[in-house]
Amino acid sequence: MIGWLKGMKYTLNQGTKEKITYQYPEEPIPLPDRFRGIQKFYPEKCIVCNQCVNICPTDCIQLTGKKHPDPKKRGKIIETYDINFEICILCDLCTEVCPTEAIIMTNNFELAEYSRSKLYKNLDDLNNHVTNLREENKA
Amino acid sequence: MLRTEEMILNVGPQHPSTHGVFRLILKIDGEIIHEATPVIGYLHRGTEKIAEDLQYTQIIPYTDRMDYLSAMTNNYVICHAVETMMGIEIPERAEYLRVIAMELGRVASHLVWWGTYLLDLGSQSPFLYAFRDREMIINLLTELSGARLTFNYMRIGGVKWDAPDGWIKKVQEFVPYMRRQLAGYHELVSGNEIFISRVKGVGKYTKNDAIAYSLSGANLRSTGVSWDVRKNDPYSLYDRFDFDVPVRQEGDALARYECRMAEIDQSLKIIEQACEQIPSKGPVLGKVPRMIRPPKGETFVRIESPRGEIGCYIASDGSKEPYRIKFRRPSFYNLQILPKLLKGENIANVIAILGAVDIVLGEVDG
Amino acid sequence: MEKGIDERNQELIHYVNILKNQIGENGLEDYYINELAKHTPTIVVKQEVYQKVAKIVKSHPDMQFEYLTELHGTDFQTHMEVFLYLQSISRKRSLILKTKTDRDQPIVASVTSIWEGAMWPECEAYDLLGIRFEGHPNLHRIFLGEDWKGYPLRKDYKDENPLK
Ligand code: SF4
Ligand code: SF4
Repeated sequence: MIGWLKGMKYTLNQGTKEKITYQYPEEPIPLPDRFRGIQKFYPEKCIVCNQCVNICPTDCIQLTGKKHPDPKKRGKIIETYDINFEICILCDLCTEVCPTEAIIMTNNFELAEYSRSKLYKNLDDLNNHVTNLREENKA
Repeated sequence: MLRTEEMILNVGPQHPSTHGVFRLILKIDGEIIHEATPVIGYLHRGTEKIAEDLQYTQIIPYTDRMDYLSAMTNNYVICHAVETMMGIEIPERAEYLRVIAMELGRVASHLVWWGTYLLDLGSQSPFLYAFRDREMIINLLTELSGARLTFNYMRIGGVKWDAPDGWIKKVQEFVPYMRRQLAGYHELVSGNEIFISRVKGVGKYTKNDAIAYSLSGANLRSTGVSWDVRKNDPYSLYDRFDFDVPVRQEGDALARYECRMAEIDQSLKIIEQACEQIPSKGPVLGKVPRMIRPPKGETFVRIESPRGEIGCYIASDGSKEPYRIKFRRPSFYNLQILPKLLKGENIANVIAILGAVDIVLGEVDG
Repeated sequence: MEKGIDERNQELIHYVNILKNQIGENGLEDYYINELAKHTPTIVVKQEVYQKVAKIVKSHPDMQFEYLTELHGTDFQTHMEVFLYLQSISRKRSLILKTKTDRDQPIVASVTSIWEGAMWPECEAYDLLGIRFEGHPNLHRIFLGEDWKGYPLRKDYKDENPLK
């Protein structure tokens, strides 16, 4: 019977310990800076190089670019930019390859929606998404 | 005379004690099992087929989703396979970070096993304690990699991030804390008479069976075979650390329990040494060509994951995608012995035997 | 490192000699040290003698490969290949054993009677590549189910299964 009593003692001792339960969702969960959540996109920084599209393992980024409106400047600017969060696995590869940090991660992870169509985020959604931006984006 | 009839009992696919989607068809006569047929494949996502169209870097996040309780070892095995083929040298600091991350993952994975196994056996509180301490490891790994389970942390030739400031220190502080907790776990469970009578002599098999059925990890070591890839075919930096391979002789569920608990202790020992030896600075990504194209040919490497030997076979045709990639998934191999173990057993022991194998269904089904 | 490779070479030659003695010259197709796989000795045998070789490598006192680490198949378009990674726990040595088979009629003898651990891996190879293992006690489509059409890991696979 000894082992059983020892276990009881351990259990009773736990009562005096500090509570560690997260009070989520009443209180937000503290997350480290590196945490990966819904991306933030800066259209003005994007050079339409397509690297993010090529590296994405689930093919969930779609973008189109157009010619620079200012005829003196070369290159392209972004026209549409969509990420399908039904299949995005938040793997961080798109932000890793982006040469201009036009796409970065944020700490916002709450993606649950009532309708699937809300999971398609377009350029404006991703641009207006300004909270909890990740500070360090390149290793 | 009592007349009995054979009847079929379906366990799963959705059953809390199968730890995922796994179905077990039991033919029982009274309380005794005559035949057990495992049905798997509910979680088959075709990782190997998908990977044939992806570049090597893109496959790493997919490996996170196989054995989702210890994604670090999965990340490692594919990086290791490609690095072996290409002969890439990994900077020392990166390799130490990998070892620390993998061993932390091993502790976390064993904690989940410990908690859920006792939950299977009808004891509630260990589950809560295990998850409390696992949460601390998950927080450490989140700080390092940016995700809680699907880390995607390793890269071919190194790791993605260097450790944040003060992270190594936090790990060092965690080790003695975890040791104290582990002692508490032993106090709570290991000596408990009810627990012991529940697992002692249950699901017993011999050394020869274990070898014939290709079992690995604690399932093999609980029968007296001292076989751990970290020791017997050292990869990474494991030859630099002083640690033991816990072995038990009995081959029953209790022996597997003891092996895993002792492994936690050994992992902590490795983490402690790694934190001391790690160079304080240095690059974390080696010299890697921009396009990763392993030479034509094939390779097979294996490493020790918490569940056993995880291996990776790559056949390359010299292009940036693998021609064929195959993972040796330890849970898949370990589960094979189940029909043999369950035959003739009492139905009350099904969960105690299945739980002791320690499977992750994402890995069984690939 | 150099010395290790030399040793492996001798080891391989020794295995090959044993096998040649027992099954004759013609059974072996090729043998080499696979440098990309950490210098593991590799032996490729003809399909007809594959099961016999498997028995020998397991039971011969100089080999004793009693542990099957890995078994899988690959579609190389011209042929199918079965790949075995074997481990001798007592001697701490490993060996790769391979055999080739026809792509349209892939039939290979089963090694389940030698290593029980080949049970599910052979089912997996059957399920995903369509390689038949003769003598397997319960060969079935372990992941996809019996009514699945086609073998997904074949290079020319096209999905014709209706979405459920
Ligand atoms: S996080 Fe990964 S899956 Fe999501 S858009 Fe970026 S590359 Fe694609
Ligand atoms: S990688 Fe960056 S710059 Fe290039 S297209 Fe994507 S978001 Fe724009």
